[in-house]
Amino acid sequence: MRFIPFGVLLLGSWLALPAAADEGSVMLQRLADAERTLSFQGTFVYERNGSFSTHSIWHQAGEGVALRERLLQLDGSAQEVVRVDGQVQCASGALADQLIDSQLWPARALNAEQLSEWYELRVLGKSRVAGRATDVLALVPRDQHRYGIELHLDQQTGLPLKSLLVNDKGQLLERLQFTQLETDAPVPSNLEPSAGCRPVRLGPVQAQAAEAWRSDWLPPGFSLSSVTQRRSPASDELVACQVYGDGLARFSVFMEPLRGEAVEDVRTQLGPTVAVSRRLKTRDGDVMVTVVGEIPLGTAERVALSMRSLGEVAQ
Amino acid sequence: MSRETLQESLSAVMDNQADELELRRVLAASDEPELRATWSRYQLARAVMHKELLEPRLDIAAAVSEALADDVAPVAQQVQRGSWRTVGRLAVAASVTVAVLAGVRFYNQDDITGAQLAQQSSQPVLNIPQVSGPAMLAGFNSSDEQAPPAASAVGQGQPGWHEQRLPSYLRQHAQQAAMSTSEGALPYARAASLEGR
Repeated sequence: MRFIPFGVLLLGSWLALPAAADEGSVMLQRLADAERTLSFQGTFVYERNGSFSTHSIWHQAGEGVALRERLLQLDGSAQEVVRVDGQVQCASGALADQLIDSQLWPARALNAEQLSEWYELRVLGKSRVAGRATDVLALVPRDQHRYGIELHLDQQTGLPLKSLLVNDKGQLLERLQFTQLETDAPVPSNLEPSAGCRPVRLGPVQAQAAEAWRSDWLPPGFSLSSVTQRRSPASDELVACQVYGDGLARFSVFMEPLRGEAVEDVRTQLGPTVAVSRRLKTRDGDVMVTVVGEIPLGTAERVALSMRSLGEVAQ
Repeated sequence: MSRETLQESLSAVMDNQADELELRRVLAASDEPELRATWSRYQLARAVMHKELLEPRLDIAAAVSEALADDVAPVAQQVQRGSWRTVGRLAVAASVTVAVLAGVRFYNQDDITGAQLAQQSSQPVLNIPQVSGPAMLAGFNSSDEQAPPAASAVGQGQPGWHEQRLPSYLRQHAQQAAMSTSEGALPYARAASLEGR
């Protein structure tokens, strides 16, 4: 089994560089503060396997000013989101059409101390992005259950100007990179939603069925952050959905009854996002468990295998 | 030369265990539809056992799909197909258990090249190109009907089941992340990248 010594080697190389950790958590904290306190505007590109798009961001913050942010896709269809104080006010139709009946739970704030439990923070050096000097901070996963992240943080403001998601082989899974950034407050008109931006309404909580599920095993550091339920896109079945996160990475688990249909297990990868479907036998018939998230395939597979309905557990 | 001998040779070739004589034997017979069909079935079983995604563009996978589509009627074939699937499932279950016990690093083969996979699993592995994302991405569309072809990796019974649901699951996941967090542009960009243009 060659992978074990390989893993030990990797771990060893991570442990050999503890000095930069403090500096790293300072940079991470500065990032969290910057997005809360600074106004800026800019354009960035997002790239993953098979997709490349360009976007604008207008971000207003500061003392006595409501935190207001507008994001707009510049090519193709005009995807748009407007947030006020972290709450989505409106989104273009296609960006929120899967959220009917969904309930949104408050997000965990970026917590450098907590993250350093699962990621080693390593300062890699300096770089230049969007014409600005940046420091490079790597978040190296301490286990095989999450991907690595490379952040290029603006030296002047602490904002992330470039963000790379990298797997355990060092392969790039996705890139977000600013091409231009200004630290002026955006013009108010640029923060106003366009006509295509529809108000996002959240339905009532229907958590009973989703809570009928739990996972026997979770990757370390991940905890349940949201439970929703909605109709299957293809049938009338109710699909339970649970969302788990470690403060950075996130995955959703969908449970849909099969009602005797013969369906094979599948696994596939879409850029940074993996999807693994596994059939699970329960007392009430077979259920297809699908794990979707920005986690390694093996981890998703293991989560899918570990889902249990509470009815089964009680037996 | 008997059919049985030929199949043994074929098996040996696929396991990289064939000697030159066996290789010649198989190559000489490789035009026979029957041998090709057997080859395809072995290929499918191997793919299931080794957890490889069948690449739909490959000739071999097309041949399997065709064969499966054609042989719905004969009862004997049905039985055989059923047993293959059972074997496959058992093998999948076994290999998953091993992977879970042994740690998942071995199992993260989404992007491992054939050579690396061979090295890590110490199993002879046919050099099948690994599908990671592009095949699905190219066909990906926000409309639920036009589904990613790669999603039906080993699917036989209900090819439409996952195609109807996976795009929607992916989008729900991305949108929940984008809407529920205030952590900047990345979750938004991921969700936006799933929408058609």
